[in-house]
Amino acid sequence: MKILTTVKRVVDVELNIHIENGAIVEDGLQYVINAWDENGVEAAVQLKENNNAQTTLVSIGEQDNTDMIRKCYAMGIEDAILIDDPALVAPDAFAYAGILQKVYEKGDYDLVITGKQAQDTDSGQTGIILAEYLQLPCVSNVISIEVMDEAHIRVSRLGDSGTEIVEITLPAVVTVSDSINEPRLPAMRGIMMAKKKKIQVMDLAALGTSVEAVGGAAPKSEVAEFMKSKTRQAGQKFEGDAAQITAQVVELLANEAKVF
Amino acid sequence: MAKILVIADIKEGVLKGSTAELLSKAKALSAQTAVVAIGSNIESLIADMAAAGSDTQYIADDKSLELFSAGPYAACVVAAAQQFEADMIWFGFSEAGKAAAPRVAAQLNAACATEIIDVTLEGEQIQVIRPAIAGKVIQRIQVNTQTLVAVVRAGAFEATPGITGTQNMVKLSIPAPDLKAVIKQILSDASGEIDLADADIVVSVGRGARDQAGIDLVRELARDLSAGFGSSRAMVDGGFMAHNKQVGQTGKIVAPTLYMAIGISGAIQHLAGMTGSKTILAVNKDPEAPIFNVADYGIVGDLFEVIPILRQEIKKIRG
Ligand SMILES: Cc1cc2nc3c(=O)[nH]c(=O)nc-3n(C[C@H](O)[C@H](O)[C@H](O)COP(=O)(O)OP(=O)(O)OC[C@H]3O[C@@H](n4cnc5c(N)ncnc54)[C@H](O)[C@@H]3O)c2cc1C
Ligand SMILES: Nc1ncnc2c1ncn2[C@@H]1O[C@H](COP(=O)(O)O)[C@@H](O)[C@H]1O
Repeated sequence: MKILTTVKRVVDVELNIHIENGAIVEDGLQYVINAWDENGVEAAVQLKENNNAQTTLVSIGEQDNTDMIRKCYAMGIEDAILIDDPALVAPDAFAYAGILQKVYEKGDYDLVITGKQAQDTDSGQTGIILAEYLQLPCVSNVISIEVMDEAHIRVSRLGDSGTEIVEITLPAVVTVSDSINEPRLPAMRGIMMAKKKKIQVMDLAALGTSVEAVGGAAPKSEVAEFMKSKTRQAGQKFEGDAAQITAQVVELLANEAKVF
Repeated sequence: MAKILVIADIKEGVLKGSTAELLSKAKALSAQTAVVAIGSNIESLIADMAAAGSDTQYIADDKSLELFSAGPYAACVVAAAQQFEADMIWFGFSEAGKAAAPRVAAQLNAACATEIIDVTLEGEQIQVIRPAIAGKVIQRIQVNTQTLVAVVRAGAFEATPGITGTQNMVKLSIPAPDLKAVIKQILSDASGEIDLADADIVVSVGRGARDQAGIDLVRELARDLSAGFGSSRAMVDGGFMAHNKQVGQTGKIVAPTLYMAIGISGAIQHLAGMTGSKTILAVNKDPEAPIFNVADYGIVGDLFEVIPILRQEIKKIRG
């Protein structure tokens, strides 16, 4: 089984983000692997270890992505493709999916694993659109993957009324939840080996496409402005005798907040 | 006049409140409204759908649609959108909506925006507002296509009292099942407890409760209040709470009148799911816990000591 797993480099959500004139201030930002993609990498590596799968990673971004890719190599990914093209300015999910479609078509993959969402967009679209473009079956929000035979996998996904068990005919696309696994910490040996591994870097022309052809020149939607989110004000905090402060807070909930 | 198609949110044979909320917003934008309802044995809900503010009801009612499958579900929405010539297609916040919306957008060549909290329409120009980066920023998105598919975040819109519509049922043809992704079974997490999405009060428990005994203690508080009982991811990962109880960025987004965070530190991913609540109460023994930065009322204390007192005091006040 050949697996393609998609990985995006995103801003670290744990750090403060400043906004000026409708844009995010680059200064002071740090970048990390998208958390859900790290789960996707772990899922791919487990399929390699348990089911002899071959694992390829693809990331669309810039050369800065190589540190992240080396981390994924250290986790056990075997091959990596980095799509870097200066013409890609502000791609939407459709453009990313259009590029991933080309990457998919160049390989002979049985399964695509994407994260359920990217931490910077929080949008959860790319993997699902990719499946539509490829006319492949797709299951999102997946929390387990089990290989049934060469042409079938059984996955479970978190749905609205419980865990749904779905049998999928390959090739297919799945998007994974963070509940699927606990990504491993790479071992020292892996980290050393990862340093020497090659990363295949391609621009859109090398991929046989162009920014226009993937819809990157005329995005269906674009961020017109970033704004600060309305932060809640810290309210009243009570310390001291538990009985006394709890009674006081209940009184406030009833008479000030009027929730009871 | 813009045309807005709302996906009827039906769960266990009941039309959920989010349908009226979305239709109210559509009417506030002076749009023509329709709903599309997909499921099995749902025709009887036509009157409810009209009362929720829709003027046309596209119905796909078939045994094969009983269990959610994203392919056929999206096909029904696309068919309705094309017949109605919808400018916007709105899903209420649900896993079904999140799975289907990008498919519908791809098929209609429309733009797609998830987790929207507002939408404006000036002439033909559609813009939406949505949080991103775990709720750290708000984006104003400009839509460059004629059609937008959106997933509306829970609590974004309010139902207008007295909203009404007209009954006008249009039956959709039933799509073929997806033979390449076959849903075999649903392991229901239904615990007989109140659905988090519907609850007026949500009580959530975190790692501070330690174990089953701690959870049971907090659950009693939720029971007293007929509240939804939620959880941080720590307690889901620990195997104590069902997945569908997780509140946060990858769990449920809730916006109740009162949210009680019990023994929850307030990690950014948890906050992303609950800071839309009207009032927040936090109980945490660490006075520096970040949850206190968003809580209207904070009790610094040991939850094992505080919860029994809290239950008692609430009983006193509510009688
Ligand atoms: C990609 C990603 C997605 C995530 N999505 C989610 C999500 O959707 N929802 C979510 O919740 N988390 C999510 N997380 C996890 C999140 O980062 C935190 O790890 C998690 O929310 C912590 O849960 P907690 O607050 O219960 O536990 P902890 O952070 O361990 O906090 C426990 C708190 O309990 C307090 N405490 C301890 N004992 C007591 C006592 N006796 N009485 C009172 N207080 C006590 C402590 O002071 C502490 O503040 C996500 C993480 C990632 C990376
Ligand atoms: N630039 C990118 N490079 C590689 N994968 C991506 C990229 N953008 C999005 N993806 C994949 O698509 C998933 C969903 O992204 P999004 O639709 O933006 O929430 C991510 O978790 C990634 O797996």
